[in-house]
Amino acid sequence: MAKAKADAIITIEGLGKRYGDFQALTDITMEVRRSEVVCVIGPSGSGKSTLLRCLNFLEVYDPGEVRMDGELIGWEEGSANPRKPLSGAKLRDQRKNIGMVFQQFNLWPHFSALQNVAEALIQVKKLPVKEAHALARAALEKVNLGDRTDSYPSGLSGGQQQRVAIARAIAMEPRVMLFDEPTSALDPELVGEVLNVMKELASEGMTMVVVTHEMGFAAHVADRVAFLDEGRLVCCVPPKEIFAREPADSRVRAFLQTYRERNVV
Amino acid sequence: MELDLFVRYGPALLHGFGVTVLCWIAGSIGGLVLGFAIACLYHWSGKWMRWALQVYIDAVRGSPFMIQLFILYYGGPYFGLTLDPVPAGILGFIVYGSPYFAEIFRSGFQSFPKGQLEAARSVGINEWAITRRIVLPQMLVSITAPLTNFIIILTKETAILSVVTVPELLSETQTMAAETFTYVEPFLALSLFYWFMVEFTSWLGKRVEARVTRHLKRA
Repeated sequence: MAKAKADAIITIEGLGKRYGDFQALTDITMEVRRSEVVCVIGPSGSGKSTLLRCLNFLEVYDPGEVRMDGELIGWEEGSANPRKPLSGAKLRDQRKNIGMVFQQFNLWPHFSALQNVAEALIQVKKLPVKEAHALARAALEKVNLGDRTDSYPSGLSGGQQQRVAIARAIAMEPRVMLFDEPTSALDPELVGEVLNVMKELASEGMTMVVVTHEMGFAAHVADRVAFLDEGRLVCCVPPKEIFAREPADSRVRAFLQTYRERNVV
Repeated sequence: MELDLFVRYGPALLHGFGVTVLCWIAGSIGGLVLGFAIACLYHWSGKWMRWALQVYIDAVRGSPFMIQLFILYYGGPYFGLTLDPVPAGILGFIVYGSPYFAEIFRSGFQSFPKGQLEAARSVGINEWAITRRIVLPQMLVSITAPLTNFIIILTKETAILSVVTVPELLSETQTMAAETFTYVEPFLALSLFYWFMVEFTSWLGKRVEARVTRHLKRA
């Protein structure tokens, strides 16, 4: 996909994350450009999801910086030793611009599909209910669920639930979308419908960071692929370099070997 | 059985029942609200606040309701708190019930799926709206039964209010028994009144349960 070389929307610098004695992320430095799709791959436990969750401060990272359009995420600008977290209101202001889709969908089961999508429009954007519902309906139509607006999550398939979750995020018109293994909890035959919606979003120029095990998606949709191993960024390069016959890095080679054995790539 | 006794003492019994119901409903609602507030505070605050709340919970749960009422009603004036029997009874009920309600709400908070909270935070919904719109309605599914159960227990605790001279059902019944030297009739009537309150509460609990589990039935 030929995209004009655009400016960086997310810059990550020297990012680290530690849980007690476990160093989950070490010195990650990378950027995501506007309208770019970056897939994050790597062995399980390599810190992919942690990295993604640092981007909207669901994980409190330290040290390092995550910036979106220049604005430091989660921490008070210029504060140090110890750093001061942003107030709740300021953090919420940042988060509403960063959409997130979770492995387990995390829909609110007591709300219908429409209510799930409309809730943040009403609570956060303070739109009147009628207007919020109209926007929510449009978002659901976009993920091909215009006919299921009144269904509760318990009456939807996994693929449909995940599409509602995508609609919930895009209805807020975020500047960036984060996907945390969006198809990992789905039956194989339902994976396609979710990936198709994501492809369409990508083609419309949405900036996306996608943690995934779907190598086909990474190979064909991503502009760049970041490979993580033991909490370190091994490389962040165009997919053809990762999925080449002989990737430069031995860790990437070993990781992809398991997929090759199953003829996935 | 002398049924004409009920004609004579009916008004007094009904009045007693009214006082009982008033203390019970006001006390239960007040206890629910205070208990929910304690649980929310516990949920959101840090170590020291939690410690203080735990002390309150343990202190109230650790003493009999009757002693609490004595302290409030007879000891209150020493601290500048002079209350009439009925307000003292209601306040006593609120304090007595609040830690039990708080613990029920706290269990609801603790068992709430973290992923749903993260989803709500990731779109920028504030914590109070999350609690009100997302947590509470779902939490009610699992806590309606224990809440109903405790409110049923409270119906019968109202009898203890008689020790601080609240003119409730038991004290009116005792008056009737003492004046007429009958025991079967007054206490039979008394049981019927309590039974009615218990049945009403469990009916209400079932209604609430049906309402909060609507979304669990497949469309």
